[in-house]
Amino acid sequence: MTNSIKSSTDNTQMNDSIQQKSTVTITEKVTKSLKKRHRKEKRFKIVGLLAVLFGFMLVLTLITDITAKAIPAFHQHWVKIDVDYKSAWLNIDDTAAATQLTNQMQTANYRKVLRNSIYQMFSTGAEKKLTRQDKRQLTKLFSTNAEFTIKDKLIAKPNYINKKIELWVKLDDDVDSYLKEDFPLGEAGLRVSKKQAEWIAKLSTEQRIDSRFNLSFFTASDSREPELAGIKGALTGTLLTMFVTLLLSFPLGVAGAIYLEEFAPKNRWTDIIEININNLAAVPSIVFGLLGLAVIINIFELPRSAPLVGGIVLTLMTLPTIIIASRAAIKAVPPSLREAALGLGASKMQVTFSHVLPQAMPGIITGGIIGIAQALGETAPLLMIGMVAFIVDVPTSILDSATVLPVQIFLWADSPERAFLAKTSAAILVLLTLLLVINITATVLRSKFEKK
Amino acid sequence: MNNLNIKENDLSELALTETVGNIYADNAKMSIRNADVYYGEKQAIHNISLDLAQHQVTALIGPSGCGKSTFLRCLNRMNDTIDICRVTGQLMLDNDDIYAKDLDPVLLRARVGMVFQKPNPFPKSIYDNVAYGARIHGLTNNKTELDEIVETSLQKAGLFNEVKDRLKEPGTGLSGGQQQRLCIARTIAVSPEVILMDEPASALDPIATAIIEELIDELKEKYTIAIVTHSMQQAARVSQHTAYFHMGKLVEMGKTEDIFTRPEHKLTENYITGRFG
Amino acid sequence: MTTQDNTNTPSGFTTKLNLDKHISRRFNQELEQVRSLVMDMGALVEQQVNDGLSAVLNADEKLAEKVIKRDKKVNTMELEIDEYCTQILARRQPAASDLRLLVSVIKSITDLERMGDEAVKFGKNAIKLAKGNFAEQESSRPLVELKHLGKHVSDTLNKALTAYAQMDVAAALDIIKNDNIVDEEFDNISRLLVTKMMENPREIKNALRVTWCARALERIGDHTTNLCEYIVYLVEGKDVRHATMEQIRASIDN
Repeated sequence: MTNSIKSSTDNTQMNDSIQQKSTVTITEKVTKSLKKRHRKEKRFKIVGLLAVLFGFMLVLTLITDITAKAIPAFHQHWVKIDVDYKSAWLNIDDTAAATQLTNQMQTANYRKVLRNSIYQMFSTGAEKKLTRQDKRQLTKLFSTNAEFTIKDKLIAKPNYINKKIELWVKLDDDVDSYLKEDFPLGEAGLRVSKKQAEWIAKLSTEQRIDSRFNLSFFTASDSREPELAGIKGALTGTLLTMFVTLLLSFPLGVAGAIYLEEFAPKNRWTDIIEININNLAAVPSIVFGLLGLAVIINIFELPRSAPLVGGIVLTLMTLPTIIIASRAAIKAVPPSLREAALGLGASKMQVTFSHVLPQAMPGIITGGIIGIAQALGETAPLLMIGMVAFIVDVPTSILDSATVLPVQIFLWADSPERAFLAKTSAAILVLLTLLLVINITATVLRSKFEKK
Repeated sequence: MNNLNIKENDLSELALTETVGNIYADNAKMSIRNADVYYGEKQAIHNISLDLAQHQVTALIGPSGCGKSTFLRCLNRMNDTIDICRVTGQLMLDNDDIYAKDLDPVLLRARVGMVFQKPNPFPKSIYDNVAYGARIHGLTNNKTELDEIVETSLQKAGLFNEVKDRLKEPGTGLSGGQQQRLCIARTIAVSPEVILMDEPASALDPIATAIIEELIDELKEKYTIAIVTHSMQQAARVSQHTAYFHMGKLVEMGKTEDIFTRPEHKLTENYITGRFG
Repeated sequence: MTTQDNTNTPSGFTTKLNLDKHISRRFNQELEQVRSLVMDMGALVEQQVNDGLSAVLNADEKLAEKVIKRDKKVNTMELEIDEYCTQILARRQPAASDLRLLVSVIKSITDLERMGDEAVKFGKNAIKLAKGNFAEQESSRPLVELKHLGKHVSDTLNKALTAYAQMDVAAALDIIKNDNIVDEEFDNISRLLVTKMMENPREIKNALRVTWCARALERIGDHTTNLCEYIVYLVEGKDVRHATMEQIRASIDN
């Protein structure tokens, strides 16, 4: 015993001497390395901050650029013209009975009314007689839609017949762009001749030109004429497609994740399935488009360009994302909770649905939203199943032909008309807003589930 | 040397073949004979036989990884959730073989409740926590009966007076000790015959621990209790029987007062006195 | 046992109880400290008994006073060990053999302290006997008998302390078995002294003093037996006091 005590005291003495010998140097060393470490930390912080700032700047630039470009699309120039509803020009027998008159109004020649009214307006003053070329250039100032505006007005108010009425109609997109782009009034601009510019100046001085909010951007569908084109069709198409995607991918994904995580035996088969799901998440989206074309359209013969098909294809694409995210969320549920329920005699099903799933819900929702957001911006697979077609009608069901916002953006960006540039940006803004709305919904849902 | 009662056993693993002391109880609620547990190829429990005496507390002690928790979990088939886990031997609850093919583990777990190391109340209200077991097993016919079960369970767990005004508040908002008592109340609500406790106080402060220990002492009047603990003092305080596990084997079992004053086996002695094994 | 009794190993006390095998080295040291304090106290008490006895036999007043004075040290040691044991109980919450060790130590020191008190009685009686010129009759039979009994008790105490140091249960049981020898010897002395007193009433005072000394020796013998019982309890975990004693005695008689 005395031996052991002695040896232990020896040990402590030895330790003391080591410490004493090296105390000074250790403090110095630590101080030295501490400086170095602090420097390193500082450097890393700066780099990190720069990275964040850089990313933030990029996003900011993108948003400002898009917003700046999109602003012109949200207002439209209108012009006030004096429409002369002469029954002769309209080719209407104004003596006919009221019912007949209404019928005739549907088929009347409004183009002639429009043109002649315009010519009338500009054949005053110095140059009384308009040349053929002048006439053509004049008509080009106004939107092709103008004659429909005139028509609608007359049908609404049949007593305008043979009267001269002041009416606001849309200007042509070239003129609209010319006005929005700050060319000195009266000077020739892009796709606007000197003469046209002078006419515009004259209209402007007569207070006949007015800039209004472009409501039709949201109420109209696609058109070849930029001043008439709107996003309603594409937006509806997107919403329908997303509806189908959500309806299919979320339940399927969650069910798959629950089965794999909670019920499936852990063996080679489930391993293979897991690996394949992970791989599937990395498959280029166009491949899913091809699959959709080959299987869903060609074999199952579902209609082309339909939101249903688009939704199915996007479901295939988002499923792996949702399954992976949901599995992670389910895995993150503390096992103690499962044990607690199992220990009370809950069946596996009860444990899963009344304890695991509610706990995993925030994570599952996040995964689902990421998947949906990904699908929302997807173009490639939809091109393959024909959702790229020029569709003027607003789809009313998931079986109608439709296009979606990203495809619409793609189409507009491809169009030669200058005014489509602003429309493209405006559509992008709408798409981003939609994403924002989805994300906010997700956040609200998450916090709601987390509170529980 | 023969007059020395502490056996100079060969301490190698192979030598641990027979349990020292008394594994039998006069009124066994559960009796386990020759239980082996395997995780895949690895054997975690070697040939353990012991009785859990009715309305008494049996403490299972031993170093980490000695298999005491594994053994405890066999008693209500919680190990079923692990695919590779395999249990052999005869494990009886009264006259029922708990590993019989026709015995539903759900029913078994209603009869053999469990309280875990970390307080794990459901993220629900205090009321729903306690009512959960009764609800899933359909123990009550109406709300009044359920209310009664919740109240008596909370009272038995010594928690009712502390929480009676906030039964609708989440159970996770209680203190650690209260949460653990809530878990005990939740277990009692199913009226089990046996309660298994896996280190129920290891995450609690001494006061909360003392309250739980006092509760265990009261509960043993109605239930048969098996408790795994790392605290030897706790085992000494709450239990009537103590079983010492070592490397998956039951080294010694006996009355708690004997184990803590005059253990028969050298390994037990070394463990409870904090010596090198 | 044979393998453990190497020359290098510490005392049988430490090895047999594995006092040096705790994970906590500090605990080892504390228990070792207790052990050595008890051994010191045992040695001191043994010396007190021997000195007290020789003071009586030799009517050595000086030595007697020394014994009386030294008892304070015995008392201080008892308090010290008591405190030390209480500290260990509070801090370490010992179990099994460690617990038995501390319990037996706490009990042993009480007995040792009592033995110290008996030694003081020797001292006091020695002074009185010296003043009563009892020493002149040194060769008288009662004193021879007392010396004889004293030698036996002293030897037994020494054996008991050695057994304590070695944790030697066999030796301890042997001492327990021989407890009746002391009793018998005490009876002999008593009878002798009673006869003496009847023969010579003038000597009653001194004879009574010798009786008290013999009585003290008998008490020391009892305390020694207690020590041995604690050894058995400490090593075997069995309480061999009272009822079990009869069994042991019966088995030894057989």
